[in-house]
Amino acid sequence: MNHKTFTRLGRMALLLLVQIMMLNHMHLFGYATPLIMGYMIICMETGVSRISHLWWGFIMGLIYDIFSNTMGMGAASMTLLAMMKPYILKLYMPRDIVESFKPTIQSMTLSRYTWYTLSCMALMHCTFYFLEAFTLSDLLLTIGAMTGGTLLATLFSVCIEYIVHTKLEEREVAK
Amino acid sequence: MQNLIDFIIKYKYWFTFLLMEGFSLAILIRFNNYQGSVYFTTANSLVGGIYTAADGVTSYIGLGKVNQQLEAENTALRDQLEAMKQELASRHIDTLRFAGFNNLRYRYVGAQIINATTSHSNNLLTIDKGAADGIRPEMGVICSSGVVGIVYLTSDHYSIVMPLINMKSKISCRLKEHNAFGTIEWKFGNIRSAYMTGVPLHVEIGKHEIVETNGFSDIFPPGIPVGTVEGTEASADGLSHLLKINLAVDYSSVRNVSVITNYNHREKTTLEYKADSIMNR
Repeated sequence: MNHKTFTRLGRMALLLLVQIMMLNHMHLFGYATPLIMGYMIICMETGVSRISHLWWGFIMGLIYDIFSNTMGMGAASMTLLAMMKPYILKLYMPRDIVESFKPTIQSMTLSRYTWYTLSCMALMHCTFYFLEAFTLSDLLLTIGAMTGGTLLATLFSVCIEYIVHTKLEEREVAK
Repeated sequence: MQNLIDFIIKYKYWFTFLLMEGFSLAILIRFNNYQGSVYFTTANSLVGGIYTAADGVTSYIGLGKVNQQLEAENTALRDQLEAMKQELASRHIDTLRFAGFNNLRYRYVGAQIINATTSHSNNLLTIDKGAADGIRPEMGVICSSGVVGIVYLTSDHYSIVMPLINMKSKISCRLKEHNAFGTIEWKFGNIRSAYMTGVPLHVEIGKHEIVETNGFSDIFPPGIPVGTVEGTEASADGLSHLLKINLAVDYSSVRNVSVITNYNHREKTTLEYKADSIMNR
């Protein structure tokens, strides 16, 4: 295993820990819970193969499900996000990029990155909450949970990205 | 084959994705009660709908065969209808002939019991119809429940009936199920039961078997109920059954009766008497 894989494993463990220990207990307006674990897929660079994307998403979703008692919901939504992420990223990334591209605020600008994160989070939250509701009878409630969760998760993801990005810049300046 | 392998390799991430999603949905349904029940309910209604639609299509395709069957059935029914019409036409002619009551063997005259004794060994009933009404001795008397008795004496406007609950009364009858013949007699005591003798021992008789008239005597037409078997005993001679019969008629409450008139009866008995006389010479 190379350095990148270890970094991803560490990121996955940290995100799952935060998600399960903290964010799972956050219910905005009573029902909107942000799923920050999607950040793991969002920040993966384009050089990583699609199969790897799928495995990372699936395994992470499955671990989340096991600890959150939401069997299948997390795995399905994370796998779908991993599958669709390259297509979503194509909409927001600069067109002249040929090599591996890492989606960050620096590489995409804040607004593009926010829209990109919002799109990814919306897809994941829609899938997750639709599978949780599994009916169209409480559609308003489901849409509320989807919207609230998406907005919160996007906010957290952008904040994390911004902090990480700022720290990296400070480190580089210090060097 | 190579093309297929190439296709799978090229789109392996799609297949992997589908497998992962399939597995996720499978564990979603398997481990979440609510989602599982919703899935199975929806699946059942969906399958039911598909079966209904398939059945509709199959039925539609089979309509030609059903039409042929119906056509054949219609033809057969038309034939039957025509036959019935012809039969009805001939019956109509019969009915006109019947209007004269010339061919009726039995006719019924309604009467009321105006006096009755039930506590003697030789009980008798009095009815309010007599010779003027066409009633003669040895005519049968019945009510809605069954056999009441036989006309014993007549005056112009009254008749005396010897009921079954008279020790001198003997009526020929049969067991409905086995068609075994015997004679009903009454022993002084209970007015709701009598005894049937003459049924051969080999006949296995069940309780509650119906006893009815056999039509031999010409006094009663066959098939009029007399009672039901209550119990079986061996007769004194040991050659036949002695059956205890629950009588169909309750003599303590019977009021309306019908007298069965058979005007050919006298002719028949006269002929039989003549035959007996010739044979005994």
